[in-house]
Amino acid sequence: MSLGLHTRRRLFSHTMTLLSGLAVVVILVPLVAVIYEAAVQGSSAFSWTFLTQRPPIACTPHLGVSCALGGVYTPFEGTLILVGLASLVAIPIGIGAAIFTVEYAKERRIARVISTTADVLSGLPSILAGVFVFSLMFQYDKPLVYSTIAGSLALSVLMIPIVVRTCEEALRTVPESVREAALALGIPRWKIATRIVLVAALPGVVTGAMLSVARAAGESAPILLTIGDGCFHPLEGVTQQGCALALWIFIGATNNAYQNWDRLAWGAALLLILIILAISLTSRFSLNRLVRRMKGGP
Amino acid sequence: MAPGPTESGKPPTDEIVHRRGGGHTGLYVVVAIVVVLAVILSGAYATGYLKFASKSTSSCSGPASSVVPANSGQPAPAAPSPAFHPESGQTVSGAGSTLVQPLMATWETAYTNNTLYYSGVGSTAGINDILGKTVDFGASDAPMNPTQRSLITTPGGIDTIPESAGAAVPIYNLPTVGQTLKFTGAVLAGIYLGDITNWNNSLLQVANPGVVLPNACIIVVHRSDGSGTTFVFTSFLSKENATWNQTRGFSTQPTVFPIGIGAKGNGAVTTTVKSTPYAIGYVDINYALSNGVAFGAVQNPKGNFILASLTNIASAINDSNVKFPAANGDWYNVSVLNAPGAQDYPMATLTYVLVYANLTAADVGTSPTYITHAVGEALVDVLKWMVNETEGQSYSAAAYYVPLPAWVVASDMATIGSIAKTIPP
Amino acid sequence: MDSDNPFPPPSSRRHRRAPKWADFTFLLLTGWGAVLVLALLVALFVGFYIGSQTAIHQLGFRFLTNTVWLAATDNPVLPGNVYGVEPVLVGTLLTSALALLLAIPLSMGAAIFLTQQAPLSIRGPVGQLIELLAAIPSVIYGFWGLIVLVPIMRANIEPALASGLYWTGWFSGTPTGLDVLTASVVLAVMVIPTITAISRDSMAAVPVSQKEAAISLGATDWEVTRNAVLPYARGGVFAGIILGLGRAMGETMAVTMVIGNPSYLTPYPTSLFSQYQTIASLLATRFAEYSSPLELSSLIEAGLVLLLITLAINVVARGVLSRFQRGRGVGRE
Repeated sequence: MSLGLHTRRRLFSHTMTLLSGLAVVVILVPLVAVIYEAAVQGSSAFSWTFLTQRPPIACTPHLGVSCALGGVYTPFEGTLILVGLASLVAIPIGIGAAIFTVEYAKERRIARVISTTADVLSGLPSILAGVFVFSLMFQYDKPLVYSTIAGSLALSVLMIPIVVRTCEEALRTVPESVREAALALGIPRWKIATRIVLVAALPGVVTGAMLSVARAAGESAPILLTIGDGCFHPLEGVTQQGCALALWIFIGATNNAYQNWDRLAWGAALLLILIILAISLTSRFSLNRLVRRMKGGP
Repeated sequence: MAPGPTESGKPPTDEIVHRRGGGHTGLYVVVAIVVVLAVILSGAYATGYLKFASKSTSSCSGPASSVVPANSGQPAPAAPSPAFHPESGQTVSGAGSTLVQPLMATWETAYTNNTLYYSGVGSTAGINDILGKTVDFGASDAPMNPTQRSLITTPGGIDTIPESAGAAVPIYNLPTVGQTLKFTGAVLAGIYLGDITNWNNSLLQVANPGVVLPNACIIVVHRSDGSGTTFVFTSFLSKENATWNQTRGFSTQPTVFPIGIGAKGNGAVTTTVKSTPYAIGYVDINYALSNGVAFGAVQNPKGNFILASLTNIASAINDSNVKFPAANGDWYNVSVLNAPGAQDYPMATLTYVLVYANLTAADVGTSPTYITHAVGEALVDVLKWMVNETEGQSYSAAAYYVPLPAWVVASDMATIGSIAKTIPP
Repeated sequence: MDSDNPFPPPSSRRHRRAPKWADFTFLLLTGWGAVLVLALLVALFVGFYIGSQTAIHQLGFRFLTNTVWLAATDNPVLPGNVYGVEPVLVGTLLTSALALLLAIPLSMGAAIFLTQQAPLSIRGPVGQLIELLAAIPSVIYGFWGLIVLVPIMRANIEPALASGLYWTGWFSGTPTGLDVLTASVVLAVMVIPTITAISRDSMAAVPVSQKEAAISLGATDWEVTRNAVLPYARGGVFAGIILGLGRAMGETMAVTMVIGNPSYLTPYPTSLFSQYQTIASLLATRFAEYSSPLELSSLIEAGLVLLLITLAINVVARGVLSRFQRGRGVGRE
């Protein structure tokens, strides 16, 4: 029997709707799976000492030998220092470049060049940032090849494009009339840029900064190449080898035969996910305020 | 784009919904891509670049689907944290071999005169580090090779000091086999060459009469980093199998292995084998014992299958009658493989600490100073402590390492004494 | 306010006042930011080019054609010190292409569903959930892949594929779970958010009038999508796919953890179950282990190849995207 054309078309359409809905479900399966795994495995590592103790000697319980669980203090401290240093470099540069593009370069070609450069840089594979910093240090400052400073430099290379793009977008949402009015009142350009436009666009700028921080906290490839092997000793200084949560996850994952390292790696993974979630949610909250303000709200 | 309404009052016929003329570009593109792919693929198959496969009739048809759950992770019973020693004295830093890393970790906590830091980055990286003077001592299971020695620029050279001993053991993961397997050197070489692909291969069966070997493909695991353990293992294979000796040779670099999964570090090899059914790998004995991974007995030159233990490794070292060259000489040929004793384990190895013979000379041209007076004293103290029978060596057995024989300790002490004389003022 | 005069003359283009020192300093500061951004891009190219010099001089064109990557050893049988980017380039292209093959249908299906059929209330949350996929760090995907996905591939999926599709010759060899196929699956998971997000934006930008016109002619939902939405959103979707490709080629950690890291690469993977390497995973594995100055330089040159490819892809994609967006007046909300 042949279905009528109408029925066939409707059936086909319903099938396609079903398939595309299925696609959404299939896409969300890994997300749920990863978060579930991290939550279940990682939460068993959470304890009062999780953040205060250093990573332990690798060990698997056997033959009456019990293992210390230790904690992720060193990786956590390392991530804070890394991301902090990287932010110190990347955020001012990024905001500065964005202000220059929007306030000074305006519609001139240089503005588009800077924008495109930032866009292109945001597609840089993260490992290449590590290779870049490594070869830089190798050429010019050998002792710093494996150091926290090298790691932060690599992270800032990845952060700068994000900051530039998001801040630029945020600054552009401020209507030109505001600037013109301020100019007409004789306010100097730098005050306009900082006291008026930047303040108006602040939620977007903050969002951009926080997004870049979230990205930097999760990066492991560039750190793998530049930070060395400092996870098992107290961090000595930014010119010495360091550690990071993302690196610790890699070490624990590839050596997961050791139960205590395996547990700590999942704990670190859960911690990292929670940190990134927190940053993303807060930045989204900030962005919503910007949108509401644009639409005339508080 | 969308066609306009019909002139008459009739409901639109079906065809109007479809575009008139044009608009099929997307379809053409897709068809073109499919045609091109089909042409390329059929060309590839026709010329033999890609091959059709027939249903595999070889005995290596893949593992059964029953899987040993990977690391089901019961929480470890709480134990008091090892005393993370308070910083004391000078910091002495070392890096290198992962074979000795667990022992070094124990030593870090036990040695309290100064602060000892050790990173297990692999033997090759350790040698690179000492050559580059980024660490106070390097550690490697493979002695420096001629190329590496030629890179030494400091007068006096680098001393090679054995500080512990261990052995490479073949670990495997066979869920259905409870007995300890026996391997000959030839079989191991065949497996790692890819000639022996199934666990129930006749050569393996011959060596293990009475054991029901599963019909499953062997999954080969090796190191992916520059490794002294690889050096030991491939040196052994080179001695045991002519094909291996002629086509692969021995080295610390993993390129000697034509097949297999690579894992970075002894710990990762242990992990990969432990979580992959029907896998085989090679690690130091301490990793196998401390992780509860099964390892096999290896046939020694006398034809006996020896299951590695601290005793038969120690006897191998003693029986091998190895003559040490000068401390800063060429140790490349120092080997305790295939020791002659009837009960000696054939894949034993010493593991070495690498230190500059003349610390003052090593400081020349370095800024900041490579080894200061204080660090020099601490370094000598640490080295003495490590090789001392009642101090560093007393921790060996519990960590599954072989304590150094007395004659090795004596030789080491002499070397360290010479180094002590060169501590910068 | 800086001026005493409440009605200062309006600034005109031709008679600008000379910038005061504060203005000038600020211009300088922000200008420096802009300069550094531009300099960064230039420095990247220069840095990689300089680092590759040793390899370029010693290997020349053979770097692109050599089919082995052999570390330098004192092993007389395999002295090595020969490096070629061809295998890892093939590995990169193959895993990325496979990942796209898996990701494109899923992403487009999701984008269509979320912009056309889904109830309005779930569009936002589900969209944000999919973007959450992009926020999870790569190393955590690798960890999950190692622990959860690899055993499933090894025990269930790969044997099933082998028994059903062995005749293609692409599924030979022992299923180990650590291979090109698993790496492609993990890559697909990671690029799906990128493609979905951009496709969603492009499809959401289709004017309602287009869809209404199709509906008024009696088109079913699918016909509306196919005839009114997709042609309109073509450019944006294409750009999203290209961006996803770029992301897949550059992805490192997750791939390194599940692709098997063999040490001896064949010119091309003989099977989807082969252990192989991509340029990114080669860099992650060998960089700390380089055996000679030539290997270090070759690694940097391989990085240069990856840099050129991904940056070119990005330029093309963004060009298409901006042309699409400017023509349609689209922006992220």
